[in-house]
Amino acid sequence: MGATAEQYLRQLDTGRRPDLPETTVGTLRLDVRDDGSTDHWYLTIADQQVRVTRSADDADLVVRADRPVFDRMIRGELHPGAGLLRNELTVQGNMQLLMLLRRIFSGPDGARHPRELGRAALVGRTATAARNERS
Amino acid sequence: MHVIAGNLFAISDAQGDIETDPQAPLGLFAYDTRFLSHWVLRIDGERINALSRDDLTYFETRFFLVPGAASHYVDADVSIIRHRSVHDCFHENITVLNHSSQPAEFTVRVEMASDFTDIVEVGQLRQRAVEVSADSANQQLVLRYQRDRFVRETTVRSTVPAEVDERGMTFQIRIAPDGKWETDLHVSVTMGGEDGRDLRADLQSHQQIVRTGMEEDLVQWLDRAPQLVAERKGLEELYQGSLADLAALRYRPLSYRERVPIGGLPWAMGLCGRDALITCLQTMAFTPELAPATLRMLALMQGGQLDDALDEEPGKILAQLRYGETGAFSDRTSALYYGAADTTPLFVVLLDEYERWSGDADLVRELRHPARMALDWIDEYGDLTGDGYLRYQRRNERDGTINQCWKDSPDAIVDAHGRQPAFPRATCELQGYAYDAKRRGARLAREFWGDPAYADRLEREAAALKERFNRDFWLPHREHYALALDPYGEPVDALASNIGHLLWSGIVADDRAEAVAEHLVGPRLFSGWGVRTFATGQRAYNPVGTHLGAVWPSDNALIAAGLRRYRLDVQAARIADGIFDMAQTLGGATPGVIAGYERDLTTYPVQLTTSCRPQAWSSGAMLMLLGTMLGLRPTGDNLLVNPAVPEGFGRLELLDIPGRWGHSDAYARDRTTERRHRLH
Repeated sequence: MGATAEQYLRQLDTGRRPDLPETTVGTLRLDVRDDGSTDHWYLTIADQQVRVTRSADDADLVVRADRPVFDRMIRGELHPGAGLLRNELTVQGNMQLLMLLRRIFSGPDGARHPRELGRAALVGRTATAARNERS
Repeated sequence: MHVIAGNLFAISDAQGDIETDPQAPLGLFAYDTRFLSHWVLRIDGERINALSRDDLTYFETRFFLVPGAASHYVDADVSIIRHRSVHDCFHENITVLNHSSQPAEFTVRVEMASDFTDIVEVGQLRQRAVEVSADSANQQLVLRYQRDRFVRETTVRSTVPAEVDERGMTFQIRIAPDGKWETDLHVSVTMGGEDGRDLRADLQSHQQIVRTGMEEDLVQWLDRAPQLVAERKGLEELYQGSLADLAALRYRPLSYRERVPIGGLPWAMGLCGRDALITCLQTMAFTPELAPATLRMLALMQGGQLDDALDEEPGKILAQLRYGETGAFSDRTSALYYGAADTTPLFVVLLDEYERWSGDADLVRELRHPARMALDWIDEYGDLTGDGYLRYQRRNERDGTINQCWKDSPDAIVDAHGRQPAFPRATCELQGYAYDAKRRGARLAREFWGDPAYADRLEREAAALKERFNRDFWLPHREHYALALDPYGEPVDALASNIGHLLWSGIVADDRAEAVAEHLVGPRLFSGWGVRTFATGQRAYNPVGTHLGAVWPSDNALIAAGLRRYRLDVQAARIADGIFDMAQTLGGATPGVIAGYERDLTTYPVQLTTSCRPQAWSSGAMLMLLGTMLGLRPTGDNLLVNPAVPEGFGRLELLDIPGRWGHSDAYARDRTTERRHRLH
C-alpha cells in the first residue's frame, strides 16, 4: 500500500523539482473531504519548488474531492484529468495548474520504462538464437 | 447533413430528423457524448419530407419541408421550415406555414430521446438508464444519465407552451389563413460538475469567453487569412471552403482559453496531438493563430509520469484527449492518452517553424521547459533498444495503439511480403522527425535559450543520426529507404509513402533524393490523384486499405513540400496537380482519404467510409499545397517566394500573407502561361 494523501503532503520534498517549468507560479488549495469535515492543504508553486502549508485562503485553483480520491491521485492511480471528467473531483479557477498535480504527485506503482520492453525484445531474440543453435 | 461548432456537432438525415443508426454517428454530440439520439418531427402524426436545404454556414442550416412521403405529397398547403444552428448549444426554430385561405389546425410533435452513448461506442450500443423529467409548466424536458458522480444532461426548452411527456413535446396549434406559427427549441448540454452546475462554469478558461456571434467570428477568421486570386476555375472556392472547414474544426478544450484544431468529423472531434500539430504546420502561412494555442495546450498536457495504462512518459506530447464516459472510466480508452512516437519531435518542429514565420521569440522562451523536456524524451524514452533510433511499443496491451505513428491501423507496418516486424518498431519517418527536431532545437537553444553548448550537442546528434540512418535504412538494390527497422536492426523492406516525409524532414542524403522522388511519382506509388500510402505489387497492398494503399491528402501535402525542399519541382507539381484535381472533382470538403485505385480506372475519386470529412489536416493540406506551389518560405525578416506551379493553373496571387514582415503578397503563374505571355 502506498501513502495516503496526508502522509504524502506532510513529507513532500520541498527541494527543486526539475520537472516543473521554471516560469510556473501559482497557488493551489486542496480541499480533502472526509465525513463532513474538510482538510485544507495549500500549495505554493514558484521557482520549481512546492511549499505546502495548511490554510483555507483563496488560491488560483481550488481542487475538491473525497479523501480516497486524493489518496488514489497521489499514488498515481487516478490522473487528475480523468478525475475531473468523472466528476470525482471538482475544480475552481485556473485549470492549467491542475495538470501540475500529475508531476507533484507520484506515478503509478509498477510502471515500466520503455527501455525495459526494448531490452526484453533483444534478450528474447538472443535466447531464441541460442536455443536454435543447440537444437 | 451536419452542423458543427468545435466539438459540438449534430448529424441528421435529409429531413433534419435523428434516429439511432449503428453504422453512423447520427445525433447531437458534444465532448464525445451523444446528447440527443432521437429527434423526429411529425405533423398530424405524419413524418415529413424535405424539399430542399440551405447550408448557410458550417454551424447553421435550414430545411424546407412538407408533410408526408415524397411519393404522395401534392401541392401541400402547409410547409415547415427547420432552422438549425449550433454554438455551445443546439437551437432549432420550427416554423409552420399555412398557405391556404382557411384557418388550419395541426398537431406538431417532436419526439426526443438520448442514449448518452460515448462516440467510440456508436457501433456497439449498450443500454444506459436514462432518467427523464417532463415538465409542461416550464415547457421543458430533461434527460439525465448518471454513473457514480459522472453526470451528463440534456435539457430541451420550448419558447411557446407545449405538452411535455417523457418522449417529447406536442404542440396543438391553430394558424390563421396565410399565417405562421413558430417555436424555438433550445437544447443545452451539461457535463455535471459541482452541485449539478456544468463543470465548465467553474473554469476561468471558459468564463472568459467573449460571446461574439459565430457569424462575426467566421467573417473575421476569413478576413485574417490571405486572399487568393486564382485563374484556375474553382480554386478560390476550394480555398475559401478549406478555410471555413478549419474554422469549424476548432474547439476550446476545458483547460484552455484559446481554440485548437480537432481531428475531423465525425470520428475525431477532440484534440488529437498529431493531427493538431500537422494542421498547424500546414496552415502556417494562412492561419498562424492556431499554432501558439496548440503549442501551449500540448505543453500543458505534456506527460509527467511513467504510466503503462496511458503509455505516458515524462516529456511526451499527448496523442489524444477524450471526454466521453469510456475515457473517463478507462473502459476502453483513457481520457488522456500518450501512445504516439511522433507528436513529441513534431512539437519542437512546430515551435521552431512558428518562430521563423511569426518572430514570436517570447513564445520560444515561454515554452523552453516543455521543448527541452520533449527533446530529452527523444533519447531518454523514445530510444527503446539503445541503437539511437526513435521507436515505439505499447505498454497498455489491452487497448493501447499498436502502431504509434501516423499510419496507426494495426496492420499498417509490414514488409513487401506482408510480414509484420517485431516490436519495438522504428518507422523511417520517425527518424526524420527526430533529426529535424534536434536541428531546430539547436537553433532555438543557440538563438533564444542562450545555451550554445546544448545547441552544439544537438547538432552533433542530428548529424550522427542522419549518417546512421542513411547507412541502416537505405536499400541499395531497390534505391529507397526501408519502411522501418525491426528491434534487431533488420530493415522492413516495403515501399511506402513514408519516404516522402523523409524529404520533408531533410534527412535524405542529397544524392538519393532524386531516386526517392522517382519512386514517389512512379507507377507503383502514384495513383494519378496522389501518392499511395503503400506501393502496388506488394503482398499487403490494398487500394481500400487505410494505410496500405489509400491516398491521404495530408500525406501528399508533406511529400510535395519535401520534394520542393530538394528542388524536385516537377515531381512536386505533379502531386499538387493530382490532389487539386481530386479535391475539385469531389467538390466540398476535402476528405481525409480516398482509395488508391488507378485514376484512369475509376476516373472519379472513390471515398472510404471510414474517412473523416471534413478533416482538419485534409483541409490544411490544400493550403499547404498552395503554399508549396508558391514556394513560400521565411528567410530572416522577409518572405521568400519561389513558385513552381503545375501547368494549367495559370495565374496565382496570394495577398496579405501574415508573418514577421507584416503582410506580404505572392505572385506566380505556370510556365505555359509565362510562355504565352512572352509570345504576345
